[in-house]
Amino acid sequence: MASANHNGHPDENGKGIASFQYRLPVSSTSSPRNLEVPISIPFNESIPEFASRLISTFQLPYHVKPDLLKSLNDFIESKTLEFHDKESQEVLEKCNDGKIDIEEIIKIWEKAFKAETLQYVKKEGTSDSELFSSVYHKLVHSGSALETILQVENSYALAVAELISQRDIQLKSLSAWQTEEMCRAVEGVDIYSTEKDVNDLAASHFEDQNLVHGKWNSEVDALKESQRKDYREWLMKLLEEQETASLSHFSPLEPSKDTAPILEESFTIHLGSQLKQMHNIRILSADVFDFCANKLDESGGSEIQPQRLQTSLGLYSNDLCGLVLLSDAHIGSFAGPTKEFCDVSSKSTEFHFEDTEDQLESIRNRVREAVSWRQSFAQPLHSVDTQAKRGSGSKTLQTGDIFITRHSNLSSVHVVFHMVVDDSLRSNDLNSRHPVVLGLRNILKTACCYDVTTLTIPLLLMHEMTEEMTVAWCTRRAELIFKCVKGFMIEMTSWGGSDLKNLQFLVPKGISEEVFSSLASMLPSIFRISNPLVFKASSSASSK
Amino acid sequence: MLSKEVAPKCIFGAMTFVARCHSGDSCGSNGLPLTPNSISILGQAQFLKTLDHPHLVKLLGVTRGKHERTIVVSEYFHQTLSDQGKLSLEDIVKFMRQILSALQYLHEKSIVTRCLAPDNILITDDGDIKLFNFGLYYMTHGGKSVSFPIGSPKYMAPEVFLHARSAEYTSGVKVDIWSLGIIAAELLLSKSLWDGVQLTQILRKVLSLVNCNAIFARLARECNKFDVYENIPPEIVDFVNQCLKISVHERPMASQLLEHPVFKIYPKKESIIEKVHCLNMVQERKHPLDERDLNEIYYLWQLSGGDVEGELKRRGLIKNKPPILCLPQIVLLEGQILGGEQDQSSMLDLRVAALSLNTLVQRLEPLPLTVYYPLIESSLQLTYASHVESDAAPLPLIIREKDIEYQFLRIMLMKRLIDAYPLKKSELIKEACKDIPPLYRGVIWAIILNVIGDVESVYTEIDKETVTPTDRQIEVDIPRCHQYNELLSSKEGHLKLKRVLKAWVISHPEYVYWQGLDSLAAPFVYLNFSNESVAHACLSAFILKYLYNLFLKDNSEIIREYLAKFSHLISFQDPVLANHLDEIKFIPELFAIPWFLTMFSHVFPLHKILHLWDKLLLGDASFPLFIGLAILQQLRDTLLSSGFNECILLFSDLPEIDMERCVADSMEPYCTTPKSITFRQHEYTHQQSIKQRKNTSPLEMSGLSYTELQAEFCPRISAADLLDLMHHSPQRVLMVDIRPQYEFVEEAAPGSINIPFGTIDFGGANSDSSPLPPSPELSILYNNKGKVVIIIGEEAASAAKVGRLLVKLNFPKVCSLHGGISVLRLCHILVPSIT
Repeated sequence: MASANHNGHPDENGKGIASFQYRLPVSSTSSPRNLEVPISIPFNESIPEFASRLISTFQLPYHVKPDLLKSLNDFIESKTLEFHDKESQEVLEKCNDGKIDIEEIIKIWEKAFKAETLQYVKKEGTSDSELFSSVYHKLVHSGSALETILQVENSYALAVAELISQRDIQLKSLSAWQTEEMCRAVEGVDIYSTEKDVNDLAASHFEDQNLVHGKWNSEVDALKESQRKDYREWLMKLLEEQETASLSHFSPLEPSKDTAPILEESFTIHLGSQLKQMHNIRILSADVFDFCANKLDESGGSEIQPQRLQTSLGLYSNDLCGLVLLSDAHIGSFAGPTKEFCDVSSKSTEFHFEDTEDQLESIRNRVREAVSWRQSFAQPLHSVDTQAKRGSGSKTLQTGDIFITRHSNLSSVHVVFHMVVDDSLRSNDLNSRHPVVLGLRNILKTACCYDVTTLTIPLLLMHEMTEEMTVAWCTRRAELIFKCVKGFMIEMTSWGGSDLKNLQFLVPKGISEEVFSSLASMLPSIFRISNPLVFKASSSASSK
Repeated sequence: MLSKEVAPKCIFGAMTFVARCHSGDSCGSNGLPLTPNSISILGQAQFLKTLDHPHLVKLLGVTRGKHERTIVVSEYFHQTLSDQGKLSLEDIVKFMRQILSALQYLHEKSIVTRCLAPDNILITDDGDIKLFNFGLYYMTHGGKSVSFPIGSPKYMAPEVFLHARSAEYTSGVKVDIWSLGIIAAELLLSKSLWDGVQLTQILRKVLSLVNCNAIFARLARECNKFDVYENIPPEIVDFVNQCLKISVHERPMASQLLEHPVFKIYPKKESIIEKVHCLNMVQERKHPLDERDLNEIYYLWQLSGGDVEGELKRRGLIKNKPPILCLPQIVLLEGQILGGEQDQSSMLDLRVAALSLNTLVQRLEPLPLTVYYPLIESSLQLTYASHVESDAAPLPLIIREKDIEYQFLRIMLMKRLIDAYPLKKSELIKEACKDIPPLYRGVIWAIILNVIGDVESVYTEIDKETVTPTDRQIEVDIPRCHQYNELLSSKEGHLKLKRVLKAWVISHPEYVYWQGLDSLAAPFVYLNFSNESVAHACLSAFILKYLYNLFLKDNSEIIREYLAKFSHLISFQDPVLANHLDEIKFIPELFAIPWFLTMFSHVFPLHKILHLWDKLLLGDASFPLFIGLAILQQLRDTLLSSGFNECILLFSDLPEIDMERCVADSMEPYCTTPKSITFRQHEYTHQQSIKQRKNTSPLEMSGLSYTELQAEFCPRISAADLLDLMHHSPQRVLMVDIRPQYEFVEEAAPGSINIPFGTIDFGGANSDSSPLPPSPELSILYNNKGKVVIIIGEEAASAAKVGRLLVKLNFPKVCSLHGGISVLRLCHILVPSIT
């Protein structure tokens, strides 16, 4: 009888257990006269159902049901009330006893209301960036202005490229001259010069280099700054003009004969067992910076890269393009893909956001925040891998962490996810719990939350082919990433953000055709290629 | 035509908020990813839609946008209590009574509003109270699904503050009583308390009341209205002070407060109000929409192009910053996000967007007034439907379901017929054959399935809590069952599905739980989300009708018979396909079990199942076989050109099926195939009739063993169906008698032809020469290809053999006579044939 079938959980969430006692109005020999059942308060089940269960469990006569139901109802109502009353009464008493810091309470609530409720926040005006974004968005989508804007951007970029090439020429000639001088000095050691002279010369060469470098760079920066200022002013004016008169007629773009990467294969896949979600998946072999570098039109003519057009149109939309770039914990301070990326992105002026270098600088400043967060909050989540343990004391980002930069001047990318990686990636036995794979999941999640709907991922988690990347190595790595990404994409549907429409898997340029095709053929076996619905011209039922 | 001046009175109000995002990598206890909070809210809010009280606005819809955006739409009125000027004592007491009656109703259901405030108290055109936004605290699971605090600081009870946003604390019903007290005080003093005071100060003031006794008096002093206070009748002062008891224990409940003497001093003046009301009704013409149910209007408004999210965007209640401006700078491995601008657009904005019905009214304007009141009892049958026919009627179902005018007419008619149920049941079913309006699908399905009686108390009696051995399997299956659907993936949805499944298992002890039952229950739970008992009753009726005994512990015999019948049907209707499938050994056992065991609900997404079942329910237990056939026929070309492996692959992941075409394709064969072809001895209705009449007529079909079924490639037809065909459509049938010629001459069915079994060369079926010897009979046979070919013999095996041969020769509609020639002898139709 004790098995009143009631969850006998002890006081879990501070919830109370009340003992319901019921006295049968008429006793019979077979059934007990009194019964006692523990009931957890607050009671979340249906009371009539509970009453029915009591009747069947204790084999009570059916006619007691109305009475039992009433007393059960009353009991639960009063106990629930008592429960809430008691809870509140306790705080009130504590407050009366001065055990509660009223000021603290006020602070908590003030913060809550001010951080989350618009009514109590000083309405922030539209920020500069927002204003500019809406102007830009309006202009590029008005059709007529788009072409002009891209042309202006192109000419600006040409100017920067010109200056940079001048810089490079001068630096090159400088170092050539210096090398020559140095050679002469070294040759003449002990003849007409001493070792000290050589050292001094080297020092002065270095200084000269720095000086010239600095001079040119500041010139480039100055040019960019003035371009940026002009551009933004011009854009604002353009909008005003456009609102009064319409600009030159917009001519449809001709598809340019762009050299596409040779190794490339596309699939349409679907995920989900009943309701099918379509995605486009592409696997291609290309250099990662092909997605970044702009091909400038040297003639300054009207031909515009179609990718650029797409990128400009999508900049402030809800369909962003993202790229995963493997980086290190130094955030591009030294050599490596991030540094290289910096150089590529600084080829032209960034009109919308901070310069890449400045963005990275601001990220470097934020690393401290990240490290302190990690020290105080992160539980040893991934206690299995020693990586995290080792890193928790570190002052830098760890493998699997991501930093994000945004760009308007790259050819087909708006957002770059830089993922911190280390040499463990070269190993042959990466598993799905490796921090880089988890980092990939975070990238997909961020993409989902911030409307990045086109994403390019380095399939092998390598940007270049190296020796240890044998066929077996590549196959194994690709399989892991395919499967993990598939899992994340399935998960993604429950994140409530934007679905990934286009997913590109990037493999390094030097890959052999055989390996590429074996990786490409793996894709349809892991993802489900959607069966196309074929419409027949005469789709009548009488096809027998 | 309606005069333009008369506009519908009702309007909708929409408010929106953003649910809390799950942080980082959190997973549920079952290891599956957590359900987004917006989905939990959606599930929880469904209960609020069922609330019905004169002083609560009707909650109409909760929808989700991207990024956890939640939008709540309900009935709305422009006037709020905060807009009211000085009110008379009578009015204040009236309002208090109405608010209390609403609170009592809510509190009985354990719903705490937590944000009772003048802004959330609307005044109807008749001067009555309707509480608005009362469900926010409930639907957000006591505020746990959102990050903003719920409540208006001025009206919140001090104990709420003292709990300091602790996650364990959930407010009890008495916090609403406090709010009511403050509101009453403000109304009585006709002064807004602490006007223009900063948030911090308001919080401090509320908390300072904790140490105070006569709170009303103190409030009056604070706003310099003590003179007014002194003139308030003592009963009313007492009422307010009761509400504002600091001690929660002493603070009364709504039901107790309704007994307060103040309500006896100022009694309800119903009679007069109602009289005035009646007079108004006579004078003023109402828009016919005002008589309709609000859910109906909301549904139609959406169809007419009403777009809540768009409207909220237009009014600036949903503002979206370009996402590129909000990106974070660093995402740590643990999922922690650093940097990025805080987006004000995700903050709580309490403004309400009033949505007018203009678009709907405009769309309906061209329709005559009579369509609001379709005649269903007219002497001229069917006039009700035909006199106004929407242009959309011949269009595909998916378009009709989105066509406002068409749906409007359907809804008006169907609602009328539902109201006249059970008197108009046959008319209702007749109309359902055209299509079923989605708004009333749940009710109509229940009617078609013959769900009657007090299903609710039956359901209550079933123990759904006690742990049973099937629980584990149910718990594994539910998080995988149609989870793309928001309702079914919510916590509430999981709970309801589990309860319905458990209830079914418990109430059918002769059956066991099979995987797939979850998919079978899903459509019913989805359609009757707030009414589990109906979902359970529908499920039970559905299984009884279509899946009788398929959930027995040992169901192999039933399943085998089912699939053998399916094979027979394929060979009957599509011999080419049947031959091909037979050749590559792609038997129905390999693909069709989940189809029939879940009535396709495991194979298709919910929106397709609904359309499929709309028609399935109208047919009998054999109809699913025809749907299976129609699916095969849609894939026919692919199947015919595929081998075994390709077929397996194709069916492991079924391609898109055009459901409307599938249903239409299955109709024709369903109507023309003789019933005995698909006869199953394990079908429910047959069992019943067998019990009734112990001796079935030999003319009827009787059960065959599995081996017998398996051995025959084409189906058998009953003598009764044969006679029926001969009688009604002799041109559709050709009888082939395979007995030796001398027997045939002696006596044979009139009109039959004789191809003696002995003359057929079975070995040569693959050789060039025809297995059938040339004869006049053979040319008759070939000339009649396409008719129902009935093979009549002495014994079943030889008839089956001939049948197999004819199917191989791609003859459609081949079947053999059950019982052979002897059964025809019983009906005395045999005549000596003249050759």
